[in-house]
Amino acid sequence: MPALAERLNRVPVAASVQMTIKARALRAEGRNVISLTIGEPNFATPAHAIEAAHQAALRGDTKYPPQDGTLALKQAIQRKFQRDSGLDYALDEICAANGGKQCIYNALMATVDPGDEAVIPVPAWSAYWLMNELVGGKSVLVNCPQNNGFKPRAEDIAAAITPRTKWLILNNPNNPTGAACSADELKAIAEVMRRHPHVWIMSDDMYEHLVFDGFRHATMAQVAPDLKERTVTISGVSKTYAMTGWRIGFAAGPKALIKAMVNMQGQVSAGISTVGQAAAAAALDGPQDGVEEMIAAYKRRRDFVVEALNACPGISCHKPEGAFYVFPNVAGCLGKTTAGGRTIGNDFDFCMALLEEQLVATVHGAAYGMSPYLRVSTATDDASLHEACRRIKAFCDGLR
Amino acid sequence: MPFIADRLNRISPSQTMAITGKARALKAAGKDVISLSVGEPDFDTPRNVKDAAIRAMEAGETRYTDVPGIPALRKAVAERFRADSGLDYRAEEIIVTSGGKQVIFNAMLCTMNPGDEAIVPSPCWVSYPDIVALAEGTPVIVPCSENNGFKLRPADLEAAITPKTKWFMLNNPCNPTGAAYNAAELKALTDVLMRHPHVWVFTDDIYNKLTYGGFKAATVLEVEPRLKDRTLTMNGVSKSYAMTGWRIGFCGAPLELIRAMDKLQSQSTSHATSIAQWAAVEALSGPQDSVEMMRQTFEKRRDMVVAMLNEAPGLHCLKPEGAFYVYPSVRACFGKTSAGGTKIVDDETFVVALLEETGVAAVHGAAFCYPGYMRISYATDTETLRDACARIQNFCKGLS
Repeated sequence: MPALAERLNRVPVAASVQMTIKARALRAEGRNVISLTIGEPNFATPAHAIEAAHQAALRGDTKYPPQDGTLALKQAIQRKFQRDSGLDYALDEICAANGGKQCIYNALMATVDPGDEAVIPVPAWSAYWLMNELVGGKSVLVNCPQNNGFKPRAEDIAAAITPRTKWLILNNPNNPTGAACSADELKAIAEVMRRHPHVWIMSDDMYEHLVFDGFRHATMAQVAPDLKERTVTISGVSKTYAMTGWRIGFAAGPKALIKAMVNMQGQVSAGISTVGQAAAAAALDGPQDGVEEMIAAYKRRRDFVVEALNACPGISCHKPEGAFYVFPNVAGCLGKTTAGGRTIGNDFDFCMALLEEQLVATVHGAAYGMSPYLRVSTATDDASLHEACRRIKAFCDGLR
Repeated sequence: MPFIADRLNRISPSQTMAITGKARALKAAGKDVISLSVGEPDFDTPRNVKDAAIRAMEAGETRYTDVPGIPALRKAVAERFRADSGLDYRAEEIIVTSGGKQVIFNAMLCTMNPGDEAIVPSPCWVSYPDIVALAEGTPVIVPCSENNGFKLRPADLEAAITPKTKWFMLNNPCNPTGAAYNAAELKALTDVLMRHPHVWVFTDDIYNKLTYGGFKAATVLEVEPRLKDRTLTMNGVSKSYAMTGWRIGFCGAPLELIRAMDKLQSQSTSHATSIAQWAAVEALSGPQDSVEMMRQTFEKRRDMVVAMLNEAPGLHCLKPEGAFYVYPSVRACFGKTSAGGTKIVDDETFVVALLEETGVAAVHGAAFCYPGYMRISYATDTETLRDACARIQNFCKGLS
């Protein structure tokens, strides 16, 4: 075997994979593991989206699609940005990709030269820095502490910017914390960005519809129209419409960037699945009442889980604005010993012990760039969540 | 600093832009344009395959799958490799991608360090050298002349190998020439490769079910199993099962390379559309009679097209073994002037004049790193093909 390319060494195997492997092994032994590690809705794809895919297949919509997406999907995306955010994009300012992840990958591949920097507020989805480093970029992580609701502070972002900064990557609402910035909070960041005209903004809004308690989602291109010419806004149908497997994400931004992203996609994978595109267009254009039901379920679960976790000795859990995650702090458990005799030195130890002793799988905060925390997904049915919280409580009660 | 990354400049500017742009403009102006430039079957995806996709979406197969593909598809691929060519791959030695192109992208990005070389016989699909260059490798183009049936001679392969050679890339049958290698021809090449243990073999067999006149295209590991630990065998459902729009490609390769590709793909696109993966399972495992029906139709068209083109003064067309392309020489037309008054100086002026004066769109050979020829796709219905060939004959008769 010839040595693999050097670039691959820049990407470690995801830490969370270790948890998944362990959970799978326990399950294979017949143990009743509850997994709270999942990043996808436990709902079904809307029937009208499935029907549209069904019709697309039957009518022979099975040929190579244009690399930037079918006209029908791009038009649906155009209407979505207008409807949801009051953003007007021309069709050549929009592209679709094989999931939101590929939008990010295409954008970074198309723009990052070795040594270019991306400012990434953390906690964050590790894919941002892993992809950035895979393409030769340098990641500059900016801490967003719990006492600020895990939201990036404008002054911290300002301090991280250098002449080599190419991107600021925002994820709003955020995976893993569920934190979402309001329009005013984004405006403060926009002020910083105005002082640094060489920095572009990537706004990953994949969870944009999953916000609670009347919170209104805002996005950079909308609150700072003067920055629209250097902002790419990314979203998709995966989380809003329970369509993770269909692999349809999309991006809107300045024409030159979109063109470069499409050019890159032409080398990576070319066009994306036609049936998936038909389903996505129908989901975007169709009735949205299923989304409301999902939001209500996620809100109910968030409220329950936050309350239950805060009742666990040693855990403090912030109540986030959106997404389907909570990110409890386990600092109060460090240095203690579990009922099974394991010492909790850090959040990874906590996760492993919780899995082994109480059969609840979560992901440790270090995997998202901040310790000592856990990411708990609420994309699981209510009964399982209740039982999981009961077990976490028992686990914490047993700490000495 | 420029916003667009330097790596984008390594992709060659599209050679086909002028011709496709003109064809589109003529069509928009209401002209009767026949496109012989398409690289996909004109058939619809077989009904049993569509039905499998519809069953999958209704069964809720709409969630994230494993990055390298659903187990059922990886197993079906391994079984298809075994049934077709006697290849011995285990399911874990298979990765499923979003189209065959992503196999090339994954493999090159996973293995090429700056300065590594990949040998690409030409005429070739330009994506091979483009993706090699994108991965910071150096494509080494080895011309394969018409008088050797556009096939690579073992001595030319031997001469192209250097200590920096990482890959030998073979497309069998070949886009754009349709040339294919039988077992004896391929053995002569693998004998060379056996003498150079540092060279890996990338065999793109995506057209290997489409061969004619009793010819059987061999695959590398069939003729030289000892190359197994350094061979990647690529295939997909696009061409054999008329499934271009579903975007499913795959390959078998040594486990270490598959794992590296899995890691890279987890940071670029994740997995191929779940529904399309289920469609591909049916294509590979279900009844195969539609493949034979399409193959027979292609064979009749090939025979007609070759005969009609050879009747056109100034054209010379080999009868290739496979794929759905022919690659006639237009060199005898150089220096002449068309009926419309265009001086034919090279293959590009030939195809542009042909398009403008007859409405027939072909792709000039320079787009395949081998000028002096044009690529004609016969993946179009027989009557249209007959009409197009008659127009080409008239065009050639009008040259003076």
